[in-house]
Amino acid sequence: MKSNIALFVTLFKRDWLEMVRYPFNMLSSIITLYFLFLLIFLGYRAVGGQGVNFGNTVDGITVGFMLWTFSIAAYSLLAWSLMNEAKMGTLEQLYMTSLGFDRLCVYRIICDFFLNLLFVVPILVLMMATTGRRLHIDILSLIPLFIFTLASVYGIGFISGGLGLVFKQIQSFFQILQFVFVGFIVAPVDKLPGLKLLPLSLGAKLIGKVMIYRLPITKLPPMDLLGLVLNGLFYLGIGFLIFKICERIAKQKGLLGHY
Amino acid sequence: MNREVLRVEGLSKVYPQPNRKSILAVDNIGFLIERGEIVGLLGPNGAGKTTTIKCICGLITPSSGSIFIDGIDMIHTPKFGMSKISAVLEGNRNIYWRLTPRENLAFFAGLQGISYRDAKSYIDELIELFNLTQKATTQARYLSRGMQQKLAVACALAKQTEILLLDEPTLGLDVEASHELRGLIKEMVRDNNRTVLLSSHDMQVVKDICDRVIIINNGKIVTDERVDRLSKLFETSSYRFELDSRLTQKEESEIKSNFDLANIIKMPDHTVIDIQLRSHQRLYELIDILRKNGSKVDSITHREPDFEEIFLKIVKGK
Repeated sequence: MKSNIALFVTLFKRDWLEMVRYPFNMLSSIITLYFLFLLIFLGYRAVGGQGVNFGNTVDGITVGFMLWTFSIAAYSLLAWSLMNEAKMGTLEQLYMTSLGFDRLCVYRIICDFFLNLLFVVPILVLMMATTGRRLHIDILSLIPLFIFTLASVYGIGFISGGLGLVFKQIQSFFQILQFVFVGFIVAPVDKLPGLKLLPLSLGAKLIGKVMIYRLPITKLPPMDLLGLVLNGLFYLGIGFLIFKICERIAKQKGLLGHY
Repeated sequence: MNREVLRVEGLSKVYPQPNRKSILAVDNIGFLIERGEIVGLLGPNGAGKTTTIKCICGLITPSSGSIFIDGIDMIHTPKFGMSKISAVLEGNRNIYWRLTPRENLAFFAGLQGISYRDAKSYIDELIELFNLTQKATTQARYLSRGMQQKLAVACALAKQTEILLLDEPTLGLDVEASHELRGLIKEMVRDNNRTVLLSSHDMQVVKDICDRVIIINNGKIVTDERVDRLSKLFETSSYRFELDSRLTQKEESEIKSNFDLANIIKMPDHTVIDIQLRSHQRLYELIDILRKNGSKVDSITHREPDFEEIFLKIVKGK
């Protein structure tokens, strides 16, 4: 137990230090994403005007944008950071931890989840200030919803990270995939329930119900909640499995330290 | 306590190549390392040194063979063996450049599940031993290459494992930095009772640091010998003859036909013959040839070959 805590604290400290020592990276990401949101918001206002559903639609855009921001940050951890570690020459060192690389990945996901809040919360505040709308932040309802919604993103991150270990230069694929997340988030799951099977889609709908319609988690349809849990675990499980297969190939081909 | 700490048996690694012949990087090699030994894995570029080390580290899956670290099967249960080994694989690229030396050392200790509180006194020792005190709070990216490489070795030590694997630890360092790092490696083995397997293509590094050398070429072990014995083995059969005149054509061809390892250096007014003899008796055969042709021998020197020469001879199969 003591050694697990030590590993977790070590990873958290390292990620924190790296984040604060690349301040421009974090600031520029927040500013760029905020301007992207501003463009969408102003564009919508110019085209759609301020009709009866204006408020709720803007809230929907805000929630969707925030979820997308959180998703790309979560996805980056496994897709981009594994490649970066390989590039820096430290990936093999991480593989040599006596506590196991799999455990290290789980701890990094947990650290990353909390550190990403520092990145997502300012964007959310800026978005609410811009739209003049106040979203309902029910932490107890939102945390489990975010965990299982993002579990599917971590699953995709594992797949991308695994493919990166084997095929290396696949940054374009990573970038395109980030925009596919937008499609998942805006998928009309009410009209086409089959779309609930996609990653992110069902979670986006349920998070919207909490933040826009102020429903607590206890008032959400139990089948949807069960579906969200299974969806998250399914993508995470499949992603992890594919990652392990890619890792085995990379070890057989001696590619772990390559970039 | 069992003296044997690392056992490699029948290790082979084949890299299949699409539409080309597979590459046999390591070909059925085996060796044992005992506790406290410093063993050099010496070989030219592409000999299979890094592949061997990475197989031991569980980072490359071998095609066949077995690796045991303190009795732990590294092929099937690598996670358990990781508590026994640490490695420097990419020189100064093994550390986090945005972290300070102290933070890097704490990070690598933490990777083994050692908390900063428990590791602190040892980290302080390492900082002092590696002369990093002045730079302990400077981000690693601002350190010189030599310092970064020293830090990489210190980070491997911070994991407090019994075995240390160093892949080309002095690569790219200037003479002074390389010398300092060699001294540090020797010191930490002596003081901390570590076992080291060190790969290098630099003969001097191996000669300076190692007790034993395993020479590897084309994926095969060609020699596994104690460094001092290896030098002696060659020392006893290497001679230099200096003659006060030039050799005649006849003498030269007779020497070359009888001694295929002879190197004749023709100077304007004298001749030098460097010769490798497999038996001391053959020394008299050469003297006979020279006497028969009336050449005057100025001196005969028992030559001490340098380590590089020995290495080249072994690798070339001479």
